[in-house]
Amino acid sequence: MLKTLDVDHINVIFNGERILKDISFSVHKGEMLGIIGPNGAGKSTLLKVILGLITPQEGKVVIKSTNKKPVMGYVPQSRLIDADMPIRAWDFVSLGLPNMIRPWLTGKDRKKVSKIMQETDTIHLAKKPIGKLSGGEKQRVYLAQALARDPDVLLLDESTSNLDPEAQESMTSLVHHLCESRHIGIIFISHDLHLVKKYAHRTLHMTRGHYIIGKTEEIMKDEKELSLCLHPPYSDESITSVDQQINQEIKDERIRTY
Amino acid sequence: MFQYDFMQHAFIAGTFVAVMCGAFGVFVMARGLSFISHTFSHIGFSGASFAVFMGWDPLTGLLLFTTVSGLAVGQMGVKIFRRDAAVSVILSLFLGLGILFLFLSNKQTNFATTILFGSVVGISRQNVIEIVIISLILLIVLILSYRVLKFDSFDPAGAHAAGLPVRFISIGFLFVLSILVAEAVQIVGALLVFALLTVPASAARHLTHSVFGMILLSSLFSLIGVWAGLSLSYITNVPVSFYITIIEAIFYFLALIWQTVRLRWTKERTYRAKNI
Repeated sequence: MLKTLDVDHINVIFNGERILKDISFSVHKGEMLGIIGPNGAGKSTLLKVILGLITPQEGKVVIKSTNKKPVMGYVPQSRLIDADMPIRAWDFVSLGLPNMIRPWLTGKDRKKVSKIMQETDTIHLAKKPIGKLSGGEKQRVYLAQALARDPDVLLLDESTSNLDPEAQESMTSLVHHLCESRHIGIIFISHDLHLVKKYAHRTLHMTRGHYIIGKTEEIMKDEKELSLCLHPPYSDESITSVDQQINQEIKDERIRTY
Repeated sequence: MFQYDFMQHAFIAGTFVAVMCGAFGVFVMARGLSFISHTFSHIGFSGASFAVFMGWDPLTGLLLFTTVSGLAVGQMGVKIFRRDAAVSVILSLFLGLGILFLFLSNKQTNFATTILFGSVVGISRQNVIEIVIISLILLIVLILSYRVLKFDSFDPAGAHAAGLPVRFISIGFLFVLSILVAEAVQIVGALLVFALLTVPASAARHLTHSVFGMILLSSLFSLIGVWAGLSLSYITNVPVSFYITIIEAIFYFLALIWQTVRLRWTKERTYRAKNI
């Protein structure tokens, strides 16, 4: 199998606390890697390191790409969209197209957007303003936008967590289908063990400061224990707050640079 | 009225300023920068007064003050300027400075009225050439950055995730906006640049869901307002900006009414369709 992403001995220290400790793994083409772990384990931080939004103190991320420059697609849990400035779903997907210096879209671009919207089952929503869509529809439109750049790796940060179980299942199955048809590497963070068990080829289980990675069946062997480990009856607020702090910092950065 | 040179000048300059303000206004609204543009125009007033005090061309002072503050805001971050207190302090500080420079320069109050409220007669041939050149440069920048700007303005999180240089885009946009404000102040006056930058775009967003459509409509509204304003001002001798604001406000309320009526109509239709 061909490797598409290589994460090499990543260390991230934030405010004197070690969020990620010496993490190494790789993702292959056409493979779905599920990431599970309790709050504060550094799952989102890891994705942000891969995206290049956080620079690790040590280690590096290498992406092998068929494009000139490696391209990553990212679908966050939720997104701030100004309800007063609604644009149509079709336009929203077309925002993600590459070659942005050309001010207009070519016929090829249009075909590509329509094709991606068919692939993600959003073509019937094309003319609707993005603000009027349901949570599940919005997530599929975001996914379509991320695909418009033909990403080598697709990262989903709890993209389905705010959806009802049925929508979660259909979104994850869609992602699984895209992973095979497009032959790209996909990393998805989820709190839903059932979904990870069903769709992830391999699973990365992160706990504070440690991690294990392996075939999903092996990681999921003792599901009861795992479930307890993911949703502990106690909560370690100090570490959770660090994760929140990082998220807040990224949010601040975003607002600051409007 | 076109037999007079000054009316020709006002119409040519007004056309360019109106179209640029209408087009950029869509992005100003999408990025939530309306009050920053308001602050820029007050800083511009202060810059124009400073220029008069120094014996320069007002446009030089306008450009100097607005672009420097545009870059400063970009560096410090727009977030500080979202706070009411910061905006009030900066606004009044620069208004005060403007008044000081006017006082020091011993100019007649005529200039103050022109720069605050805009003037039809104040536009020279030189001004027209400057405005046309600046507008064309801004238009080229807008065309080249159109898709990047659209992405970052309408879906900031997506643009960030797609690896666009979001910080550079926002500083660049503030810089371009500050130039546009400096340019527009000469026609509509410092106090009402705000109106041309925000009201046509706000009206347009109620009528269409496509970004390009919004830009076209917004420019059209802004253009009609400026043309009608100039003509009515010529006939009645009331300041241009009064007419511009009233016409833009009418567009806005008509758009609002249109949207409400259309929503009610579609609701009724779906209700009937369900009950048949």
